[in-house]
Amino acid sequence: MDKEHKGVDSLLLSDLIEVWETNSLTLRTIEHLTMFGIAIVLASIIGVFLGLFLYSRPKIAHPMLNLLNLVETIPDIPLLVLLLPIFGLGKEPTIVASVLYSLLPITRNTYTGLKEVDLKYVDIARAMGLSEKDILFKVRIPLSLPMIVGGLRIALVFTMGVVTLGGLIAAGGLGAALIAGIQLYKINTILVVGFWTGLLAVIFDGLAGMIEKRLQRRYGIW
Amino acid sequence: MPSKRLFDRIDSIQLRGVTKKYDDRFAINDVSIDIEGGELVIFIGPSGSGKTTTLRMINRLIEPDSGTILINDQNVMELEPVALRRNIGYVIQSIGLFPHMTIAENIGLVAKLEGWNEKKIKDRVKYLLDFVSLPSEMFMDRYPHQLSGGQQQRVGLARALLMDPPLLLMDEPFGALDPILRKQLQEEFYQIREKLGKTIIFVTHDIEEAFKLGDRIAIMDDAKLVQIGTAEELIFHPVNEMVASIVDSGKKFKHLDTLKIKDLISPLECMYVHDGSLDIESAISSMIEKNIEIAVVSNGSGPLGIVKLIDLLRMEDKDSKIADHVVEIPSFSRNELLSSSLKIMQKNGHSMAFVMTDEKLSGFLFPNDAFSQVIG
Amino acid sequence: MVTLESILSHTADHLVLVVMTLIISICISMPLAFGSLYNKRFGYVVTKFANLAQAVPSFAVVALVVPLMGIGFYPAVVAILLRALLPIIKNTYIGLSTVDPSMLDYADGIGLNEWQILRYVRLPNAYPAIFAGIKFAFILINSIAILTAYIGSGGLGELIFQGLVAFNNEKILAGAIPAILIAIAFDIIFTRIERKLTPHYRK
Ligand SMILES: Nc1ncnc2c1ncn2[C@@H]1O[C@H](COP(=O)(O)OP(=O)(O)O)[C@@H](O)[C@H]1O
Ligand SMILES: [Mg+2]
Repeated sequence: MDKEHKGVDSLLLSDLIEVWETNSLTLRTIEHLTMFGIAIVLASIIGVFLGLFLYSRPKIAHPMLNLLNLVETIPDIPLLVLLLPIFGLGKEPTIVASVLYSLLPITRNTYTGLKEVDLKYVDIARAMGLSEKDILFKVRIPLSLPMIVGGLRIALVFTMGVVTLGGLIAAGGLGAALIAGIQLYKINTILVVGFWTGLLAVIFDGLAGMIEKRLQRRYGIW
Repeated sequence: MPSKRLFDRIDSIQLRGVTKKYDDRFAINDVSIDIEGGELVIFIGPSGSGKTTTLRMINRLIEPDSGTILINDQNVMELEPVALRRNIGYVIQSIGLFPHMTIAENIGLVAKLEGWNEKKIKDRVKYLLDFVSLPSEMFMDRYPHQLSGGQQQRVGLARALLMDPPLLLMDEPFGALDPILRKQLQEEFYQIREKLGKTIIFVTHDIEEAFKLGDRIAIMDDAKLVQIGTAEELIFHPVNEMVASIVDSGKKFKHLDTLKIKDLISPLECMYVHDGSLDIESAISSMIEKNIEIAVVSNGSGPLGIVKLIDLLRMEDKDSKIADHVVEIPSFSRNELLSSSLKIMQKNGHSMAFVMTDEKLSGFLFPNDAFSQVIG
Repeated sequence: MVTLESILSHTADHLVLVVMTLIISICISMPLAFGSLYNKRFGYVVTKFANLAQAVPSFAVVALVVPLMGIGFYPAVVAILLRALLPIIKNTYIGLSTVDPSMLDYADGIGLNEWQILRYVRLPNAYPAIFAGIKFAFILINSIAILTAYIGSGGLGELIFQGLVAFNNEKILAGAIPAILIAIAFDIIFTRIERKLTPHYRK
């Protein structure tokens, strides 16, 4: 009984190691997270700035958000392949598609966050003698932070999804390992890579969720 | 970047024919007032009569349609708004502490923008917190939502005092607090006002508060200034029925000799009562949750005395029972004569007393409150 | 060269897959959502699990179905359902359970029974949320249905993948453009219906 148990355990573990090594999953994971990281950083910078910009130009806010909404409507694989003629195969179109997808949640949440700051705080800030610039940086932006992080969290999920699809257009990453598993019909590979990809995504989402909750609690929002 | 110190003291504030309209309705209609340096002027009047608008024009949160506002003979419209506001403290009913900043950051924000160094800011914040009776080491690093309403309002006052402004604008600062807490803060404010030596313009809808705190009282109605004067002037020479009725509601009782304690009782709500066996830690959290600053300590059969939140917070041994830290206060039966009880309290320096009905605690008596109610 | 006929037939396959899985998801989700309403713990687990599963990339979900069911049309349907069920259940459950308590009290007070409360109070109140869940599920289904061509579901994804392998841009576009048009068309239709469903006092 005991022996058998050990047998199964070591079998699984050795399988895992074998799958991990033959598919160079360390390298794949690094590729995966690199694309993910670049896309998220780019999307955050562009998204937050765009949100700020739209906040300062309320007239174009609506048309711009509608445009981003339209981008969002395009299904992921068609968006990815539409970028191929411009960027060729590989990491670039994958990153660009991730950024395009992530822009809407980040921009929209930044814009709404800034706009919907409780006016009583803006009023008291003004009464204390804060300049409009100080009000933006010391009051409006910090108070919208939970909202902005909420947008970022949605973007994280989108980006993980698109980066994984990147495997289909030769971007490498864990998607490439999934494809290898499916094409060669290797059950172990599919299981290991599938769960690992899902786990990574859940972990990042969980982390972002924790930050979001902590901000909300710190601000005493609920 | 430091802003200019516009005035070290207030010599005079003058409103000359100030008018503000929203659409076709007057919020303020041709209001002229002269305020002297060091005065505490109270604005009182029905809701919507223009008190807040008048106040907010002085620090340019609202700009008048016509008329001028002069501080020390300088037209505020010619002063840079940011600098002007840093020279004027502003306290409002909803307080508006920034939820994302600690208490220390809330109070010190403008000093930071002015480029003070960390040490100077910290020292100033500590000084101000102690000044408003909040132990600084306990409160500096908390967030506003961790404070009770009364504590938040103290922080609001500390924040307004940061730059040592010679002028304070206060818009119903105690309006949202429950009656007993309000009386306590009024009391404290009355004491520190002397130390502050500032010019204060104070809006309220509570005529008792006006009598208690104000040097002069300005009565507003329907966008107009109806009358301004001392309590006595308003009581003895009201210009019209409306003034008379506002003022009269504040002096319900004219003959001190015949008054009984029950005429001036502040009723007790049961949330104030805490059992003596409670430890300090739990008492503190209970009081903060209920947003009260004093608690009546009882031993089941009757009240032992009171404890103040401020004192509990300062205690070292948080596990000891509140019964061991009770401050005894006198207690009177509700049918005793007011005048004799007040004399006793005054002699012993008590600022509050229990009122008993049939051997059971039914409320409080605040002598200062009583005095202000029987003016005239 | 891609023939119009081939585009049309792939589009038809795609639509069949999408509509079929959408209908199945709704049919499975609704009873589960109503069930969660009367079993709080189940409702709690569903909401938590839905949030968690949301984060898993679609490709991983699709791939993980292969070891269980192999490849082909039905594994594809299962993969899509795995993705689409939870958002509908979650939204429906939230819509049904977040009713103003005073409204429920009132309904109780005038003597409505449990079924009548569901029918006349909870359900009308939940329409917008239920619909938002269905719309969201459709968006997911429409995009995964392309991906599932990789495990043999057929449809527009098949054109795209054939094009990718053969470096044939025309074929890629022949798959991608109809998929985009379907997405946009449904988006417009859904937005219309959504506006109708939102009671005007909420607009
Ligand atoms: N921003 C505004 N827009 C329109 N009307 C206003 C505005 N602010 C104040 N008012 C009106 O001006 C009048 C005076 O208001 P306010 O000064 O706030 O009164 P008070 O403080 O005495 O209650 C009220 O009738 C109020 O409705
Ligand atoms: Mg007001």
